[in-house]
Amino acid sequence: MLELRDIRHRYEGRTVLELAEFTVPRGGFTAIVGHNGSGKSTLLRLLALLERPTAGEVWLDGRRESAPGRRPTLAARRRVTLVEQRPILFRGQVRANLGYGLMVRGVGGAEVNRRIDQAAERLGVDGLLDRTRRELSEGEIQRVAVARALAVAPDVLLLDEPVSSADRAAAATLYQVLEEERRSRGLTVCLASHQLEDAYRWSDDIRALAEGRLSPVTPENLFRVNLPAEGGEAKSVRVGPVSIVAVTDKTGPAILAVPPTDILVSLEPIPSSARNVFTGRVTRLSRPRPGTVHLTADVGIDLVALITEAAARELGLVPGSPVALAFKANAVRVF
Amino acid sequence: MDFLAEGLRRAAHLLFTADPEVTGVAWLTLKVACTATVIACAIGLPVGFALATRPFWGRRATLTIVNTALAFPTVVVGLLLYGLLSRRGPLGGLEWLYTWQAIVVGDVLLALPIAAALSAAAVQGVDPRIRRTALTLGAGRWRTAWTIAREARFGLAAVVTAAFGQCIAEVGAAMIVGGNIRGQTRTLTTAVALSTAQGDFGLALALGLILILLALLVNVALQLLQGEAGSHA
Repeated sequence: MLELRDIRHRYEGRTVLELAEFTVPRGGFTAIVGHNGSGKSTLLRLLALLERPTAGEVWLDGRRESAPGRRPTLAARRRVTLVEQRPILFRGQVRANLGYGLMVRGVGGAEVNRRIDQAAERLGVDGLLDRTRRELSEGEIQRVAVARALAVAPDVLLLDEPVSSADRAAAATLYQVLEEERRSRGLTVCLASHQLEDAYRWSDDIRALAEGRLSPVTPENLFRVNLPAEGGEAKSVRVGPVSIVAVTDKTGPAILAVPPTDILVSLEPIPSSARNVFTGRVTRLSRPRPGTVHLTADVGIDLVALITEAAARELGLVPGSPVALAFKANAVRVF
Repeated sequence: MDFLAEGLRRAAHLLFTADPEVTGVAWLTLKVACTATVIACAIGLPVGFALATRPFWGRRATLTIVNTALAFPTVVVGLLLYGLLSRRGPLGGLEWLYTWQAIVVGDVLLALPIAAALSAAAVQGVDPRIRRTALTLGAGRWRTAWTIAREARFGLAAVVTAAFGQCIAEVGAAMIVGGNIRGQTRTLTTAVALSTAQGDFGLALALGLILILLALLVNVALQLLQGEAGSHA
């Protein structure tokens, strides 16, 4: 449905996105995962036809809509709506915000109020309709922004970290509404998130972005596994040549995720409560942002740990250094 | 201190007796200032908007020129305009020299950079997410521009106020291209200059006070309009 072809997008002389191909299938729920600065938001703005790529093309339903020197049509823009990570509301009341997209489409009178009330009720913001943006919390603004986007019933809804300020109940409500929209009218959803749990639970396709490029593997430390029935709650799960201990009552196919921030890095194993301790060698050190080091180690499988620049320096870590990685069984997420 | 009291007394007298000459001068001042403000804002606001939102070749240079024009001495503008409007000048055929229209043109030239530069700053101050949000919700170019302008409306109202302030207080260009002709091109500022030169400090002060009062009234009216618009936001 929405397609990026041969995209190379630059900001101030720096290439921030480079994608040979990226497709959002009709009626699908695509999740884009990646770190801050990986290019997720830029990708969504290109898909939303809000920015024209420096090079390459954006296609919608077989029609080239956006390219250098080619401005997308209003009709195309009205089919795709983006909710930004930190959405902003216009001056005025929430009700006027929810009606904005309808007003610019020339929808009038009772129909506007009906659709405003419907969208507000579904996202649980019907009690906020008379408030202004200054009277709302960040989570409420996010919900209002999603309701505002849904009020215009777009064909494609793009969401950038839509639940970053929401509590779990509000997040669950949002995903349920999206699911209903998909079922009832074939809404296409593409969502950028760093919350892997949500991505795995709700999406039917996950793409990982790293430094503006599609990453062949989903982000760090994700493993498709088969959870054994035996072993009680702390299960020893085979991941390639190693075993990872995870606390779960699930069985069968699942995904294990080990957050890079939960991995303790040392030069050799140290006594601790961690049930998972691996030794190996550093294969890569990258610095996605100042002060932060992504350490990739081969311990039989590739594991990525996030450490500070100071820690890497003090441990004298360089590619090839022997290293020990440890994490608790409780740190392992199971989806 | 006597002349100050004298000035206040004469100002009150001129106001309450509705002196026909002073009324005429005040009316012409208001007409010139309002006309020039409307024209300067009608051109300057869209120019400022374009400077703030449209990436085009030479944008930075244009902004620099507009900002430099803010500091143009009014007498220099008056002099250049005099050259253009004089009989031998390229616009001599209009026969506008020593007319109120010439003063309007001078005021427009001086208020235009203010309107353009300050509105560009006001629009640049609007969160860029407002534009993206309007676009993604399906707004066309004009609706998006209107939405941005609504967000910047306090800044834009200040632009109108500043442009009006420039027009009503202007004296150098008005003196050169208007000629300060009694009953025809004499404005409050040129009348103040003349009265001071003639040593009639009381009258000059009285006219000055009327000028301030006029400016105050117009600004109050603008603020009321702004408040009215705000209540519908």
